[in-house]
Amino acid sequence: MPVIIREQRSAVLVWLLAALFAVSVHAEHASHRQEPDQVLAPGYGPLNFTAPEAGSYQLPPLGAAADGILLDSLGTRLHLSDLYGDRFVVLSFIYTSCSDANGCPLATYVLSQAQKRLSREPDLIDEVRLISVSFDPLNDTPPVMRDYRSRFSRAAIDWHFLTAESAAGLAPLLTAYGQVLKKDYDAEGNFTGSFSHILRVYLIDRSARIRNIYSVSFLHADTLVNDIKTLLLSEALPEASAPASSSLQGPGDNKQGYEGAGYTTRSKSLPSRQGKPADLMQVVHNPPLGLPPVPVPEDNLITPARVQLGRKLFYDRRLSHNSTISCAMCHVPEQGFTVNEMATAVGIEGRSVRRNAPTIYNSAYETRIFRDGRETSLEQQVWGPLLAANEMGNPSVGYVVEQLQQLADYKGLFEGAFNGRGPGMETIGMALASYERTLVSANSAFDRWYFGKQEDALTAAAKRGFRLFDGKAGCSRCHSIGARHALFTDNGMHNTGIGYQATFDTPSTRTVPVAPGESVTVATAMPGKPGDLGRYEVTQDPADRWKYKTPSLRNVALTQPYMHDGSISSLREVVEFYNTGGVAHRNLDPLIGPLSLASDEMDDLVAFLVSLTGDNTDLIVADAFAAPVGDP
Amino acid sequence: MNINSHLWLAVFYLLTLMLTQSTAQADETCMSPYMAKIVGQEDFVYIWTRGMPGIGDEQDKLVTVDVNPESPNYKKVVHSVSVGGRNEAHHSGLTDDRQYLWASGLDTSKVFIFDIHTDPARPKLEKTITDFVKTSGGVVGPHTNYALPGRMMLTALSNNRDHGGRTALVEYTNAGQFVATHWMPTDDNLQGAVKSGNYADGYGYDIRALPRRNVMITSSFTGWNNYMMDLGKLMADGEAMKRFGNTVVVWDLHTRKPKQVLDVPGAPLEIRCAWGAMHDWCFTSTALTSKLWLIHEDNKGEWHAKEVADIGDADKIPLPVDISIAADDSLLWVDTWNDGMVHLYDISDPFNPQEILTEKIGEQLNMLSQSWDGTRVYFTSSLLANWDKKEAANGGDLQFFKAYSWDGNKLKHEFTIDFLEEKLGSPHQMRFGAYSLY
Repeated sequence: MPVIIREQRSAVLVWLLAALFAVSVHAEHASHRQEPDQVLAPGYGPLNFTAPEAGSYQLPPLGAAADGILLDSLGTRLHLSDLYGDRFVVLSFIYTSCSDANGCPLATYVLSQAQKRLSREPDLIDEVRLISVSFDPLNDTPPVMRDYRSRFSRAAIDWHFLTAESAAGLAPLLTAYGQVLKKDYDAEGNFTGSFSHILRVYLIDRSARIRNIYSVSFLHADTLVNDIKTLLLSEALPEASAPASSSLQGPGDNKQGYEGAGYTTRSKSLPSRQGKPADLMQVVHNPPLGLPPVPVPEDNLITPARVQLGRKLFYDRRLSHNSTISCAMCHVPEQGFTVNEMATAVGIEGRSVRRNAPTIYNSAYETRIFRDGRETSLEQQVWGPLLAANEMGNPSVGYVVEQLQQLADYKGLFEGAFNGRGPGMETIGMALASYERTLVSANSAFDRWYFGKQEDALTAAAKRGFRLFDGKAGCSRCHSIGARHALFTDNGMHNTGIGYQATFDTPSTRTVPVAPGESVTVATAMPGKPGDLGRYEVTQDPADRWKYKTPSLRNVALTQPYMHDGSISSLREVVEFYNTGGVAHRNLDPLIGPLSLASDEMDDLVAFLVSLTGDNTDLIVADAFAAPVGDP
Repeated sequence: MNINSHLWLAVFYLLTLMLTQSTAQADETCMSPYMAKIVGQEDFVYIWTRGMPGIGDEQDKLVTVDVNPESPNYKKVVHSVSVGGRNEAHHSGLTDDRQYLWASGLDTSKVFIFDIHTDPARPKLEKTITDFVKTSGGVVGPHTNYALPGRMMLTALSNNRDHGGRTALVEYTNAGQFVATHWMPTDDNLQGAVKSGNYADGYGYDIRALPRRNVMITSSFTGWNNYMMDLGKLMADGEAMKRFGNTVVVWDLHTRKPKQVLDVPGAPLEIRCAWGAMHDWCFTSTALTSKLWLIHEDNKGEWHAKEVADIGDADKIPLPVDISIAADDSLLWVDTWNDGMVHLYDISDPFNPQEILTEKIGEQLNMLSQSWDGTRVYFTSSLLANWDKKEAANGGDLQFFKAYSWDGNKLKHEFTIDFLEEKLGSPHQMRFGAYSLY
C-alpha cells in the first residue's frame, strides 16, 4: 500500500484543471474546492502569514545558475544562459502530463499568479522572465510545450516554455538544479508515465546567480513577487555593516550577577568585535609610566616584522594539531589575555589543563614563566603549549615547522623577519615572543599618582588601599613596588595553601548554577583529577610543594578568576582569602598570615587593585581584534 | 528503481501530512518539513559515531545498521566508513531530497557529506567541508544539519574568538557551498528582534521550522569551552557553569531575521514542532533545569515560552537530552542522559503533559529516533566525549545502539549492538535510510 499522494490523482486533476484554467477563481476560494482528503500546497491559497516586506531582507546568492542547451517552443536550440542576464528569472521544472497537484501544476499555477501580479506593476513587467523547462522531453515536444504555453502565457510577462532534444542531453542540467527524478512504476513494474521528483522553483538574478529556491511548502506568489522586488531594491543598496562595539574589555558575554534572579544579559555581537591595528613597537621603545625598559634579548632583537609575524601566529588556530586552538583561545585579548569564563584551561579535544591560564600582559618582564616557573624565556616557553598533549597537542616540533612551511599565507614571512631563515624551532619561538613582548601595559591611575605625582589621578579609596597594600596588609612584600617602577611581583614562588587545600580537602558537595538565580547542590565527583604540587614538580624539593609564582597585579581587574587554579572569582574574595591568612598548614609561606582588615579596608584594597589597569589596554585589544584569526 | 511493494515503503512530502488533520501516522522523528519521508519499514539506521581513543580505529565514523527484520543482515552492522580524526561527531541531517547525509563535528567544525542514495547500504563520503569556520566568519561547532529547500541550515555552538557560546546559523547549498551566516541576536544588536524577557545571550543549539507560520525556532546550549570540557571539571567550575544558554529565538523563516528572543533558562536543547495544522507550538527541554517547555504562538502572532512539566528530579540533574514527538502530536519521548531513562509524556494537552511511562534503557542515554508509524524506537547512548561516563556503575553497557518496539503500551527490547564490543566508538545521532527512496 504505497502511500503516495499521487495515488489520488484523478480527484486532484479535476480540481487542478479548475484551478489552472478558471483564472477568475480567486485563490482564496480555490482552496475550498479540494477533495476532502486531499491537502493542497499553500501556493494555491492565501498565504498563512504576511509576506515579509520587499527590501526588508536579503537573499544571499546560492551559487551559479547552470547552463544547458534547450529547445524553445518553436524547436529552436538555445542556451538557457541566453535568457539570463537582462532580467530576473523564475525557473521551474515541470512535465505537462504531471497530475500531482502539489507537483508541477503547483509551480505553473504559482507562476501564473505571479504573472498576473507582475503584469499589474509597470516597474516590474520588463524586469522579470518566467521559464518552465520540461524534464520529460520524450513526451513534451516543442509543439506540446507551445500548446501548453498558450494556456498560460497571456499577459505582458515574458514566459518561456522549453524542452530538450533528449532526456540524456537534459540530464546534466537537471543534476545541476537538483532535480532528482524517479520514474513511477505500477505493481507489474511498468512505467506509469509519472515521475517522483522534489519540486523546486528557482529565482535567478541578473548575474545568473540563484537567489532563492522554493519547494512545495514554500512556493507562493506573494513571497515570490516580494523576493523579486527585494532583488531589484538590493541592486541599489549598499551592504550594511555591523556597528563597532563601544567597549572593548571583558567577555562579550557578560555573566555578572548571574547568581541573582534579576540577571540580564549584556551580550555583544561578534561581527562588531572590530579592531584597529596599533603601532606596537611604540610601547616597546617607550614603556609606559610605571614600568622599566622592556627587556629584549640580544639574540632576538625586536622588529616590526617579527612582531607582526608573532601576532599572526598567536591568533592562528591552525597551530594546534587539529586546528582548533590558538594561543589566543586561552589568552583571549578582551578577557585580560586570559580566560574569564572558566577556572582552569581546556586544551585540544577538551583535555583538562590543571591551571588557570595566566595573563600575558607584561610577560616581557617575567624571569620565570608558567605558574610553577619552569621556563626561563618567552622564546622557549612557546613550545610548552604547542607540544603539550592537553594544550595544542602537536606531535612534534617538526610537525609544526612543516605545517608553517606549507601554509601559503606564511610564505616568505619568516624569511623576511629572520634574515632569510624559514620557520624553525627557534624562529617560531622568537616571533611569538616578540609579539608577547609588546603587550606591555601600565600608566595606570596608580602609576600617574605614585610615579607621576598627579594627586588627582587616584581616588581616595584607592590611596587608602595603597597604604594598606604597602603597609598593614603586607601585599607588597611579594607584589613588589620599586622606587621608579613597579612590576607588582617578586618573580618568586610562594605557598598560599590553595594548592594544599585542593590536595587534601576537597568538598564533598558543591553548589552548581543551572540558570540565572538558580542552583542545585550536587556531590562532587571528579574521578581522575590530576594532582598539582606546584613548584615541587620542577625542583623535586619537598619544601617547594604547592608553591606558585607571584603574578603581577597589573591589569588584575581584567584577569579574573584568580589564583593558580582559578578557584576565586573576584578580587574582593581574594582579599578576603588573604585576610583570613590563607590556608593554614605546615608549608604555608611565612609571609602569609591573618591580616585583621576591616570590611571597608578590604574595599579600599580592591579599589587600589582596580586602579592598576593600564591606560593602553583598549589600544592593545583593538590591535588584537584587527589581527587575522587563522583557520583552515 | 522499482518500488519493493512488500516493504510498503513510500515517500511523500511533509506538507501532505502537515495539513492533514485526520492523519494517524506517527513521525519518522524530527525531520525537516521539507524532507521526503520513510513511512514504512526503514532498511537502515545511519549512526554518526564518535571515535574513542583505544577503541578500534579511534576515528569518527558513519555506522550503518540493518534494521529490516526481513533482511538477512537484520541486527547487523553492515557498513562503517571512517572519516579521519576525532571531530566530536554529534548531529547529522539529511538534505531535502534525501540524497545526502550531512554529519558535523563540534570540535573541528568539519562537515562530512555522505552519498546515501547511490547505495543506501554503503554510504560513501563524498565531500568534507573543512573551511566552515573561515568561510562563516568565525563560527565554530556546527551542530544541527537542517534541510531547507535546496539548502542546509546549520546551527552552531561557538565561535573562534573566545570559544564561548555566542554563535550563528550558517547556511549552505545542498552542494556544500556557503551561502550566509546569520548571527544569533545579542543585546547590542538584536537585529530587530524583541527581547521578550531578560536574556539575549546569542547562543545556539538546535533548529526547527514551521513553514506555514513562516518561523524558525532555535535553542541555546553552550560554547566549545564547556561542551568540550570534562563534565566533572565543568560541574566544579562555577564560572563555566554560568555559560549556558537561556534563550529560544523565534526567527522569520523567509527573511532569516530574528523576531523574538524568549527566556528559557537552563540550556534548552532539542526542539520538536507539532505537525497538526492548527498546532502552532513546539517543545523543548532544558538540560540543566530539567523542564519541558512549550514554545507556542498566540492568536496575535506573538510567541511565548511556558514551562509545562518537570522531567525527573531536577535536584539530581538527570540531564534531559533528546526528545521526539509523534506525528499525531499525542506523545513526546524524552531521554534523560544521566540516569539512562526514557520518559513518555502524553501531550494531547500540550500545556499539561502527563508522564505515562518511565523506563531504564541503559547506563547513559542520549538520542532516540522513532519510525514514522511510531512502532519502532531506537536509542543511542553517547552525549559528548568528555561528558560520557567512563565506566558503567552496575556493569551495564555503556555505549550502545538499542532497538525497541512500541505497541502503544509498552516498550519491547528487540536487539542491542554494543559499540565498544564492536570496536566502533560512541554512537550519537541516528538517521534512517531505505532502498525505496531511490
